[in-house]
Amino acid sequence: MSESSIQARIALVGNPNAGKTTLFNSLTGQNQKVGNYTGATVSRKSGTFLTPHGHQFELIDLPGAYSLQPNSPDEKITRDVLVGEQEGEAPPDLVLCVLDACHLERQLYLLLQIIDLGHPVVAALNKMDSAEGQGLRIDPTALSEDFGVPFVPICSATGRGITQLKHALRHPFPRPPGRLWKGPAELEEAIGKSTRASEEAGACHPVADGLMNVAKTGSETEKLIQKIRFEYIHRAIEAGLQRPDEAALELTDRIDAHALHPFRGWAIFASLMLAVFWSIFRFAEIPMGWVEGAFEWLSGTVSGAIGEGDFQSLIVDGVIAGVGGVLVFLPQIVLLFFFISLLESSGYMARAAYLMDGIMNKVGLSGKSFLPLLSGYACAIPGIMATRTIPNAKERLATILILPWTSCTARLPVYVLIIPLIFAGAFNQGLALFGIYALGTLTALIAAKILKPRLGQTEAPQFLLELPPYQKPQWGHVFRQVWERAFAFIKKAGTVILGLSIILWFLNTYPKSESEDPTVQQEQSFNGRIGQAMEPVVAPLGWDDRMGTAMMASFAAREVFRSSLAISYATDEEDGEALRDQLVASTRDNGAPLYTPLVGLSIIVFFIYALQCLPTTVVVRRETGSWKWALGQLTGMTLFAYLAALLVYQGGKLLGYS
Amino acid sequence: MPILASDLERDSALTLSQAAIGCEFQIREVEGPACRQLRDIGFCEQMRVKKLTNGRNMLCTVCGTKLALSKDLANQIRVVPA
Repeated sequence: MSESSIQARIALVGNPNAGKTTLFNSLTGQNQKVGNYTGATVSRKSGTFLTPHGHQFELIDLPGAYSLQPNSPDEKITRDVLVGEQEGEAPPDLVLCVLDACHLERQLYLLLQIIDLGHPVVAALNKMDSAEGQGLRIDPTALSEDFGVPFVPICSATGRGITQLKHALRHPFPRPPGRLWKGPAELEEAIGKSTRASEEAGACHPVADGLMNVAKTGSETEKLIQKIRFEYIHRAIEAGLQRPDEAALELTDRIDAHALHPFRGWAIFASLMLAVFWSIFRFAEIPMGWVEGAFEWLSGTVSGAIGEGDFQSLIVDGVIAGVGGVLVFLPQIVLLFFFISLLESSGYMARAAYLMDGIMNKVGLSGKSFLPLLSGYACAIPGIMATRTIPNAKERLATILILPWTSCTARLPVYVLIIPLIFAGAFNQGLALFGIYALGTLTALIAAKILKPRLGQTEAPQFLLELPPYQKPQWGHVFRQVWERAFAFIKKAGTVILGLSIILWFLNTYPKSESEDPTVQQEQSFNGRIGQAMEPVVAPLGWDDRMGTAMMASFAAREVFRSSLAISYATDEEDGEALRDQLVASTRDNGAPLYTPLVGLSIIVFFIYALQCLPTTVVVRRETGSWKWALGQLTGMTLFAYLAALLVYQGGKLLGYS
Repeated sequence: MPILASDLERDSALTLSQAAIGCEFQIREVEGPACRQLRDIGFCEQMRVKKLTNGRNMLCTVCGTKLALSKDLANQIRVVPA
């Protein structure tokens, strides 16, 4: 549908964990668009939907906020959009405020603030099923009377009440109720005066402006207004909400008695993480076999259909070997994202952040840094974006600087290729993968400890976190997240990696040598020459020229290391053996095996520490506003990776390992 | 409220970190550098709060929501028995 058919713009607002994103997905379905706010890296998610009355509305998903006094860059966007101060974004025609029915009293504060702004508002009472399950009795009619806006009970996860909500979003919208509370005479006089001043100054929303200007006059006035609002909510809730007896120990409390226990909590956390890594190795094998089989079949079919020559080599050794070599890891990436989404959706992640706060505090960070660091295991870019929820700027910078050391999924193809060269058996391999992740994390924390005091004096980080109740995972949301990440990975394989595979194939094939010997051809090629030039640099790490070339190529994207080796070794491929078998079989000039466990370890250590991802550097530049931090991080991490790999290989050799 | 009674009540207020576990309290005053952030998340005067655990980061419930907060923050919340 065209932009012009949109009849109104609705802003979707709510506290974090109120179920805003699920409601956004239920209302808009596939009609979504993701962009950026002008001058900010906060993404702008919008979508369209049709009401039963045939009106088409645009829905804008604003970042979650507890109030309109922003404590983080994300919350500032929400406030600025609602008060009409966000560049390039007109104020919304209506605000759809999502309230978690289980925590209604606390969430009504944001609703009251939005009503004060003078917008037409519809309140969606989300998670009604859970509230009823907890024995809460909510009277939407009484609440509607008290707040002057429609309250629609819904459950966005199951779709209950969505049609009624669409009915409530009737066009033309109801008149805004205006400010509901009254303060003492002095305050009212000050608000009146300020409103008149705003009117004279030609403000679009003089009433809202007047109130905000009064609140800004001093912390005592702000405190008084906050207190009056909470007193209003307190009175309203007496009629609109009945609580159950608290005698029954809720399921969440029972689980938390173990999950947050100083010892048992850690045992549960470590077991969960270990189970995730073991499952990645154990369960991904089968679908990986399918993908491998499909690419082998494709390779065979294409070889048969196209006559021997450069074109066949480009398609089979370049495109299919390069793209297939990376796509084979799709099942593992899907599994990792599935587990991360599952833990997030069930409410466990906040518990992990609570447990980790003790450790984070020892290195000068807080539990708030844990969630961005954890997102970094999936991909550094969303992790760096997620640091926006950290209120303290120094803590935020320190988290951004250490974040690429939490191993992202792009490294997974390299780890999975190399680990079996060192360890046998799914359990040992899973343990090794767990160790890799632990080593990256530990180094990141030590780096934070060293970095943080050097970033300048700052107040100690404060920890304040909501622990949402445990709930059944919202499968729709989980699968949507997994699909989005899987699609992004497939897209990357089909664009960046495809392009780089073709370039790598070209560099590996030309210039042609007179000799028919593939080894001579490899040495003659551009790649061979780059590798020979790189050899003195990588030889102290125990690597050969092909690994050097692959490492250079992987600075564009880590997965290309796998593709580059696949393309390099395709030249001496005899009967379609898997790449790993070829690596095991490859030897040095003196006949000694090349890929020994020590060399494998040196490669892994290099990949744990090297920042080989240009998009990450660009995002760090955007978030920190300076090339100094971005390039400093890139250089520092690359040097550290080289030195660490050097130490492992040379140290290992001194200890008698080969 | 007479001045003496009001003073007595203020003096008998504890910080949330001093308060006993498992008991319910009413928030009397939120004062300190993080008071706005605390109020935004629900620690506002008149609200009822139940303390669940002690420690460097303590757990409590406000309006049915479970929250974890550091000792520094808990020291900025003064409560009286509900």
